[in-house]
Amino acid sequence: MSFNPLTEKGIPLDRQLRDWSELNIEPYRLDDVHPYTRTRIITMNGVEVAQIMFSHNMARHTVDVGLKKQLARTRRIEAQQQKAVSWLIPGQESTVENTIGYEQVAVDLTAWVARNEPEPYLRQVYEFGLLEDFDHLYRYANLLDLMGSDPKRIVGEYTEITPGRPTIFEHRDPADDLRRPMTVRACDFQSVMNAITILAAEQQTMNFYMNVGNRPEDPVARGLYLEIAEIEEQHVTHYESIMDPTLSWLTHLVLHEYHECWMYWSFMGEEVDPRIKAIWELHLGMEIEHLRLACEAMKAIEHRDPAEFLPAAGLDRPVVFRENKAYVRQLLADQVEFTAWDSEIVSIDRLPRDHRYFAYQARVNRTTPPSETIIERHRQRSGEDYRLEMEGPHPVAALRRDGDGSSLAYWQAVGRNAAE
Amino acid sequence: MAQDEKHDGIRGVADRAKDAVGGVVGMAAAATGGSTDSESFVTNAVIGDIYELEAGRLALRRGVSEPVRRLAEALIDDHTTSAHQLTSTFRGMESAPQPPLELDERRADMIDHLRKAPDDAFDARFLEQQYLAHEENVRLFRGFAESGDDPRLRLFAAASLPTLERHLDLVRGLRSH
Repeated sequence: MSFNPLTEKGIPLDRQLRDWSELNIEPYRLDDVHPYTRTRIITMNGVEVAQIMFSHNMARHTVDVGLKKQLARTRRIEAQQQKAVSWLIPGQESTVENTIGYEQVAVDLTAWVARNEPEPYLRQVYEFGLLEDFDHLYRYANLLDLMGSDPKRIVGEYTEITPGRPTIFEHRDPADDLRRPMTVRACDFQSVMNAITILAAEQQTMNFYMNVGNRPEDPVARGLYLEIAEIEEQHVTHYESIMDPTLSWLTHLVLHEYHECWMYWSFMGEEVDPRIKAIWELHLGMEIEHLRLACEAMKAIEHRDPAEFLPAAGLDRPVVFRENKAYVRQLLADQVEFTAWDSEIVSIDRLPRDHRYFAYQARVNRTTPPSETIIERHRQRSGEDYRLEMEGPHPVAALRRDGDGSSLAYWQAVGRNAAE
Repeated sequence: MAQDEKHDGIRGVADRAKDAVGGVVGMAAAATGGSTDSESFVTNAVIGDIYELEAGRLALRRGVSEPVRRLAEALIDDHTTSAHQLTSTFRGMESAPQPPLELDERRADMIDHLRKAPDDAFDARFLEQQYLAHEENVRLFRGFAESGDDPRLRLFAAASLPTLERHLDLVRGLRSH
């Protein structure tokens, strides 16, 4: 089954505007929402926000008034789409509960992307970020459990909750978040779609935490959001640096619109809630028209045909949410002690003693990071940390409940450096 | 700390002359085969990085003036990044060119001459070599970014070129003082 949005007919733009009752629709019910319905909603909200912000940035660099008008008209519809999607999240779902959903997206969406990434270097980039988001899920879950709400209600049976690459060690010098960019002309089209997907998701996670992280009253909770929001800034730097920096604004616009078609088509095929499935289908019809308009603009202004770089037969692989427990466990066993040095992902033991990583760590972790404090607090209250390990003990002995955490190479390297 | 044998007088003049001739040879190579052919570009880019890292470390140890030492720090930082970016580029190529693991004779000689520079001539010798090396590198990277035979390596060249041009501007400025 393949999908080619270039050969489908979309909804004319002047019929896409909706009234308030059509946008302010009934949200999902906490009691029976499927975890992956929630993750699809969080994902598409991120995709729409990314598209809106991109369109605004493009408009700021566009002299052509006609093109700016087209951007504004399409963007108005994208803004409505974003509301229709995001307003599916109910007010009764707390910020921290929703945050668990965000991190489940980060884990299971990044896992799908990594497992469907044709290029080994890019696959490594995704796997590196995944283990960090996996740890964020663990830290937020401990916070949620302390607040009296069960994280399993959010993730269901699909995603384990246990330490990843410890957040304390994720803080790196900004230069070490810059990866090597892809070249659209020379890479698989799936790589391009993958990068836009994860960049949108991580960017929205960064937006979310940087804006709502100050809502809790408890200082440790506030600190946890602050600390992880800084990592999400790192992740956005990390993922955006793999994008091809040589593309024209119009090329980016076409790719973004194509990507939205692919995402809505994917989720329409997977959605278990018929009401929400209908929204994915409606939005797909809108995006097909947005894509057509973007392609026409490219032909008229740059005299280039997007068929040059869009796949002739469309895409045959939808992005889907599935459990990835065995895959994540293998990554933990193989890569939890990886760090980054410029564009390369390396073992922490490869860093020289005077590497900027250690100076950065020493500065920001001069006081105990909230990501450690929240676990200590849970241990004090309950005797142990919160975990949801469905497939046995942690694959890394040092990260088991009874493991010697200090034997982790990260603790050894940072501790050794601090002592010198 | 290594005990560098310092070349004064006539031997020092000969070393500098040889570096200058080498620079001309290098520029010619960068303008021809090195500009479009991946193998040749990679060879010269990698050797360029290795040379800059060794020269930078020497300058950090022996440089007299503060601007020279700051330049050395920047060279080490930027050429480490460049080397990593090139390694990461190889990871996306089905058949990447084989990079050299050490300096060619010409650049090895330059390092040797730098090691042997007397203390009071080190900074000048270093800046002279940096000027030659960066003129060559800028030509190499500019040529490949425009006409190279592999799009991924062209992007690497285009992404690294501005840093090399800034280094060259900095070296010019220091030499004129």
